[in-house]
Amino acid sequence: MKRQNIRTLVLIICTFTYLLVGAAVFDALESKMEITQKKVLDDRKRELMDKYNLSKVNFDELERVVLQLKPHKAGVQWRFAGSFYFAITVITTIGYGHAAPSTDGGKVFCMFYALLGIPLTLVMFQSLGERINTFVKYLLHRLKKCLGLRHTEVSMANMVCIGLISCMSTLCVGAAAFSRYEDWSFFHAYYYCFITLTTIGFGDYVALQKDNALQTNPQYVAFSFMYILTGLTVIGAFLNLVVLRFMTMNAEDERRDAEQRTLLSRSRKTGGGGGTMSDPPSSSGAAHGSGKGLCNVYAEVLHFQSMCSCLWYKSQEKMRYSIPMIISHDLSTSDTYMEHSEISDALHSNGCVCSALQEHSGTSSVYTGLLSPAHYQRLSKRRSSI
Amino acid sequence: MKKQNVRTLSLILCMFSYLLVGAAVFDALESETESARKRFLEQKRNDMKRKYRFTEDDYREIERVVLQAEPHRAGRQWKFAGSFYFAITVITTIGYGHAAPGTDAGKVFCMFYAVLGIPLTLVMFQSLGERMNTFVRYLLSRVKRCLGLHRTEISMENMVLVGFLSCLGTLCVGAAAFSHFEGWTFFHAYYYCFITLTTIGFGDFVALQKKEDLQEKTPYVVFSFMYILVGLTVIGAFLNLVVLRFLTMNSEDEKRDAQERASLKRGRNLTAMNSGRGNHCHSNLFLPIEEGTSCTNLILSPGEERKLYSPLPLHANQCRFRSQLSLLCTCICYHLGLCNSPTPSQNKCPECNINSVYYNSVSYRIQGSSSTRINTVLSSPGSTVSPGLSFRELPGARRKSL
Repeated sequence: MKRQNIRTLVLIICTFTYLLVGAAVFDALESKMEITQKKVLDDRKRELMDKYNLSKVNFDELERVVLQLKPHKAGVQWRFAGSFYFAITVITTIGYGHAAPSTDGGKVFCMFYALLGIPLTLVMFQSLGERINTFVKYLLHRLKKCLGLRHTEVSMANMVCIGLISCMSTLCVGAAAFSRYEDWSFFHAYYYCFITLTTIGFGDYVALQKDNALQTNPQYVAFSFMYILTGLTVIGAFLNLVVLRFMTMNAEDERRDAEQRTLLSRSRKTGGGGGTMSDPPSSSGAAHGSGKGLCNVYAEVLHFQSMCSCLWYKSQEKMRYSIPMIISHDLSTSDTYMEHSEISDALHSNGCVCSALQEHSGTSSVYTGLLSPAHYQRLSKRRSSI
Repeated sequence: MKKQNVRTLSLILCMFSYLLVGAAVFDALESETESARKRFLEQKRNDMKRKYRFTEDDYREIERVVLQAEPHRAGRQWKFAGSFYFAITVITTIGYGHAAPGTDAGKVFCMFYAVLGIPLTLVMFQSLGERMNTFVRYLLSRVKRCLGLHRTEISMENMVLVGFLSCLGTLCVGAAAFSHFEGWTFFHAYYYCFITLTTIGFGDFVALQKKEDLQEKTPYVVFSFMYILVGLTVIGAFLNLVVLRFLTMNSEDEKRDAQERASLKRGRNLTAMNSGRGNHCHSNLFLPIEEGTSCTNLILSPGEERKLYSPLPLHANQCRFRSQLSLLCTCICYHLGLCNSPTPSQNKCPECNINSVYYNSVSYRIQGSSSTRINTVLSSPGSTVSPGLSFRELPGARRKSL
């Protein structure tokens, strides 16, 4: 089965399993407390009903009024500051729900507003996040140079480490600030920051809802807005660094497959052009015909592509001095990455082999023996046929 | 200023203006209604207080009890079905808030659960969305062929149209279903579906909250969960089609800039070396980098190859070969967007210098579109190159010069 399909199926299964496990754990953690809390509240409710001689209907009405008054208790929600707050929760998809449009016109505008605003915000945060990552990479590089370190390249591990630390500190800064202004415990404020910056936004804790802060405390309001937007940028930068590449994996594999198919169909069309490619020593003579030459170029392109995928995977394993050697044979099954176990005899392997002649001892998942000078000559002869 | 910086700054400005405009419009739409409602409800509350003669403390107590009992009104929220519902709202970042962990342990687990679950879900939806897009593209091309149309390639507009229609269709199906099961108006149900599938999730409308639905109406529960997940996939597919490319724009520009810098450096080396050599057969063939398309690859010319056969120590031969190949490869790598770090001169071989110079250049472009074409732009010694010259236009004799 195609790699992309396998990957997708595995991801689906993983997600469902993850949901099941999460549901079980939440059940275990919260069910008991829910039952006890409900019992306590029901008892208290009955007491109050008895004390004031309220019938069920009366109490339901009272309940309705109280619940509907809930957003109003927190102050005016739709004056400019509150609307701005609401607009932020819409386009960042946080969506607390502390205030939600009650008019139908508001609902309609909200939907159109989100339709345009959400992609705009996604692109903006990723764009800014990428700039931040580049800047941080540059700073780290300079720092390494200043410190007189030998290797001044900034590795992925460095960047991930820095990203994690900035996320953690953003959350902690927010937790400290909100615990002070909103009178929450540090833990609850941290939980609030986390739920906000991951855009989940339950709404069980919402900032700017005490003492009409939206209207009376403009500095705190400005701080909250800036915190949410900056925090989302930091998280966005981290996602850009770590997660974005996985979101494009399927598309890139699909592209590669399409190229291989095109190449194969072309080589089949030019009638046995593939024969020249499978035999390196004789290819120099055969490559000069224009049609076959065309094939060869495409073949070379594909090989370089495969080799480069190889290289890329290599660089992912952080091998510092990986040097590619091309041994290209059969096109039709050109694998971009050869596992260590598959390489018994490099010369007879199918497809591209990316081997690394390690100059430093270290881990190598792909290794072929040193190739003889004669082999180099054969390869270089091949070069001229391009 | 660099293109990426300009782009980022304009996006920031756009977003802020968008927020300001949105705030102003919401203010205009909702403020009046809000104050009117507030007045009405407060009036009602005062009436009730007077009627039942609540003390202030007792009223506050009633308020507290009612507010705390609110989630319980909708039935058991944390039995397995409810927990599953909650887990969905966490990892998809919908986050209604109709139920939120009350215990501290629940809050802690919720945070860890989200840290792993959200990226997993993002990648899963994008992956599945891409598969769906590919499948739709395939179906469409078959349909076009069946209909006997002249051109059977699927353009981007086709895909966007189909994607948009599927999103609308999904929203309407959900609106119809939820308005039936929850007793909402069609418009409110549509609004609910929209707010859910964009993962905003206010929580003003939440499905499965009528008395004990979560525990009793199992088929409806299963339908709701499947609807949310499938709907998110459809939206995810549409985002994958339309928005994902913009998310990687800055990094691709950055890669391209690095490539250009590398080639310029090589070009400078080239001209420096060229002045000292009399070998006009292999004159400077530095191709200008076409915006976003080509890159220069340097492949051995016959003259240089002879050097390889010469009795140089094996290591030096290897070195030279390696450096050429690694340059070739890194060039291709950026070009195909495969490699990460844009530092081309990675030749760490101590004996060689990076003089992969004066070879016939081959630059090519591999288009990653649905119809993949490989354009090769070739140059022969001494000629300038016109980028975009397709390979087929060049005579066969040119091939030899490579």
